[in-house]
Amino acid sequence: MKLGRLPWAILSPAITFVLIGIFAPLLMTHDTAQQDYGALLQGPSASHWLGTDYLGRDMWSRIIGGARTSLVAMVFVLAAALVIGVVIGSLAGYIGGITEMALISVIDIMLALPSLVIALALMGVFSGENFTWMSDYWKMILALTLAWWANYARMSRAVVVSELQQPYIEAARVMGASHIWIFVRHILPHVLGLVVVYASADAGALVLAIATLSFLGLGVAPPVPEWGQMLVDGMSYIEEYPSLVIIPGLALTAVVVSFNLLGEAFALQKVPKAIRGSLLRRKKAERAAEDEARRRVEAGA
Amino acid sequence: MTTPVYAVENLIIDLYTPTVSVRAVDGASFEIHPGETLAIVGESGSGKTVMTLGPLGLLPEGVAIDMRGTARADGRDLVAMSQSELSAMRGGEFGVIFQDPMSALNPMLKIGPQLAEQARRHAGLSAADARKEAVSLLARTGIPDPADRYDRYPHELSGGMLQRAMIALALAAKPRVLIADEPTTALDATVQAQILALIRQIQKEDGIAVVLITHDIGAVSVLADRVIVLYAGQIAEEGSAIDVLTRPVHPYTKGLLASVPDFRSEISSGTREIPGLPPNQTKVEPGCRFAERCSIAQPSCLARRPTLLPVGDGSVLHRAACPVVLNAQGVAHQ
Amino acid sequence: MRRMFLRRAGLALFLMLAATALTFAIVTAAPGNVAALIAERAAGAGADGEMIKRIADELGLNDPLPVRYVHWLGKAVAGDLGESLRTGKPMMDEFAERIPVTALLLFGGGVIALVLSIGLGLWGAVSNGGVVDRLLHGAALIGASTPNFFVAAMLVIVFAVGLGWVPSFGASGATSWLLPWFTIALFPASVLARVVRVNLQEAMSRPFATTGFAKGLSRRGVLLREALPNIAVPFITTFGAQFTLMIIGAIVVERVFGLNGVGAFFIEAIRFRDFVGMQAVLTLFVVFFVSVNLFVDLIAMFADPRLRRARRA
Repeated sequence: MKLGRLPWAILSPAITFVLIGIFAPLLMTHDTAQQDYGALLQGPSASHWLGTDYLGRDMWSRIIGGARTSLVAMVFVLAAALVIGVVIGSLAGYIGGITEMALISVIDIMLALPSLVIALALMGVFSGENFTWMSDYWKMILALTLAWWANYARMSRAVVVSELQQPYIEAARVMGASHIWIFVRHILPHVLGLVVVYASADAGALVLAIATLSFLGLGVAPPVPEWGQMLVDGMSYIEEYPSLVIIPGLALTAVVVSFNLLGEAFALQKVPKAIRGSLLRRKKAERAAEDEARRRVEAGA
Repeated sequence: MTTPVYAVENLIIDLYTPTVSVRAVDGASFEIHPGETLAIVGESGSGKTVMTLGPLGLLPEGVAIDMRGTARADGRDLVAMSQSELSAMRGGEFGVIFQDPMSALNPMLKIGPQLAEQARRHAGLSAADARKEAVSLLARTGIPDPADRYDRYPHELSGGMLQRAMIALALAAKPRVLIADEPTTALDATVQAQILALIRQIQKEDGIAVVLITHDIGAVSVLADRVIVLYAGQIAEEGSAIDVLTRPVHPYTKGLLASVPDFRSEISSGTREIPGLPPNQTKVEPGCRFAERCSIAQPSCLARRPTLLPVGDGSVLHRAACPVVLNAQGVAHQ
Repeated sequence: MRRMFLRRAGLALFLMLAATALTFAIVTAAPGNVAALIAERAAGAGADGEMIKRIADELGLNDPLPVRYVHWLGKAVAGDLGESLRTGKPMMDEFAERIPVTALLLFGGGVIALVLSIGLGLWGAVSNGGVVDRLLHGAALIGASTPNFFVAAMLVIVFAVGLGWVPSFGASGATSWLLPWFTIALFPASVLARVVRVNLQEAMSRPFATTGFAKGLSRRGVLLREALPNIAVPFITTFGAQFTLMIIGAIVVERVFGLNGVGAFFIEAIRFRDFVGMQAVLTLFVVFFVSVNLFVDLIAMFADPRLRRARRA
């Protein structure tokens, strides 16, 4: 699995999302929380490019702001889940024995429920009085992280276990390399190679999870702009103003599609691809030219 | 002379994948008549399988195939056939035995019912008769306790038994041509001889034509009436098995025979390898493809593709594609 | 195979116990003073320290956690999952009312996903790189990327608001189930259709497919007779995984369409900090998840003759 061989066309939508998230403040035309009771539920206009919502807030700015909200949460959760997963998985795989058994059990328990269900339950727990010091946004990030790391741990462990069986590890050990050195120099690169690729494809699922939590009223709290939140708000006006639902829904779908395209590109690298269309025509033309060249050489000889 | 049951002429087959283009067969011709056993020999990658199975549409999916030339079965043009006619041809006139029975037999399907279905479709038998026919096919191919084996899955049989079942499957529709593609390569040495003997017995009893694709010279000497030696998709030499094996003309044929240990032939004085590697066939180039590995190559060899020219005057035409040797022997005709 | 199954069943039992213990620890211990919460719910603002202490004693909330878990487990096994802090009704009664709704939702969605994925995956394989294949590929990608609440919204906009064919809300008659079913089925159907398509393609490049052609089968015949049985195991495994993931779909869909199922209850329990309800629902989910996986392992074992007949060898 190599990143380098992927066509840029597959990466570009995901990159666009990231850029929009980073440069959101420059792209927003209005304050995302600014209500305007003189301009409720308006259609697109010169001042409100995508119209306004039921509180008169600018839809364009909220969509852009929502991209930033999702992006920041997604990056935090992915990074944290990845680190936790790699550390736990590597420890399990490298140490082995009872430690490994125990850690595998924990991983299996975490995987005994869909990650989003765990995140939902944790959001319920975090709503208790012991957690009032955290903002809803950080509660959501923490809940998703705790729900998300197990897959990375399982994967990391599998890579570590298989790499440990490679002969070069034994060779390094014979030559007196320390455990830390062997792990960092030889094993970690393999673990990260696989896990980072998986994470890039997992980003779509995470963006979906963030939106779903907000949609269910258990994620980002208003007035922070968030696509799932915007969509659920719009549901009340679905008969007269379907655009309030369709615009955030399309934004969300587009981002997830782009990340899933990335994931599929990785997954399908193993599957042999048939050749067809213009590439096949070009190869046949090359072949015909070779035939013609041979004919000429042999006619001249 | 009778109509050949299977014949191709000036066959060119290009295979394309996203990364490589291969000229697998480069202007080869052959024909086979009823009751005859034709061996096609050459190194792996020389185009033996593609040449034989390609015109029947039996190459793996996922590779784009571009085929030119003519291919006929019983005088009927295979190239012009519709997909359904070609399917009927594959299921009727031709039976195929593949190299590795473990992977060539569907792991999810029982052995017997597949045979019964073939028999049914071919002869229009009733279900009960088809089952009887299938069991007798299994018995005929030397499978002990065939009634029990009928309901077995491939993983429950040994490699040798599976290849027998594969042969039974190939025979179920009473083909006129049996194509055996490296039928013993994947098997234990002790089983190989049994399978070859079985093929010979079937050929004798049914009088069908057998195409044996192999790189096993021993198998050729046991079974074949005629031999075609293929190199890089081109025919280097062809003739009766006796002529080709004992009086080879083409330097490649000589090299091939010399590389076989214990092969009892006048040229075999200890085993020798042919120097160099086979060409990768990704490019079409003029001249003799063997020239770069050939000890007697001359500059002219690189300029012009050698054509097959007759050697001697036996009852079975013996031809070789090497003007250098033929000129030296003074047997080339003009 | 019997031993293999027993091992799996034992593992499943361990997972159920461990997962309920973990959820019990997190859900009942972490959130703060449950007794205060209960007292508050019972007496409004008038709950005093005395009352809180009494409730805590009554519920055994001062016992160490393992003791409380064993106590809870004993009652749960006997069919008592406690009373919802939100509705005050026994959880078993809540479940008796709500499980049929969720079960019908999952069953209908599962059947649709099954039929659609096999049908469309096969159709794509028949087309093999043609226009249909590429369109289906694109559709599956979008289907697997669209949030199900957006799917629900779009279906409501088109079929309920626009065309008026089906009701947009509530469970009233057969047609009211159509939108929830299709909403919940879209994601698994898309994922599974890709699994069918990709595995069929892989199977068609295997030697036994060539044997199928040699037997005289048409391409369609080879697809159906030779390739399709060979995708059984990956399909069943993925179907099981997708079916359990439909829990998430059910949570969302029940909310959007106002269905009174377990998923909707779960969200209400979370919002009202009904920890008894949450623990009960999570237990139900764990049991569902683990048993579906066990069942799927079993079916996969039966679908593959190499595993099914291992005992004979």
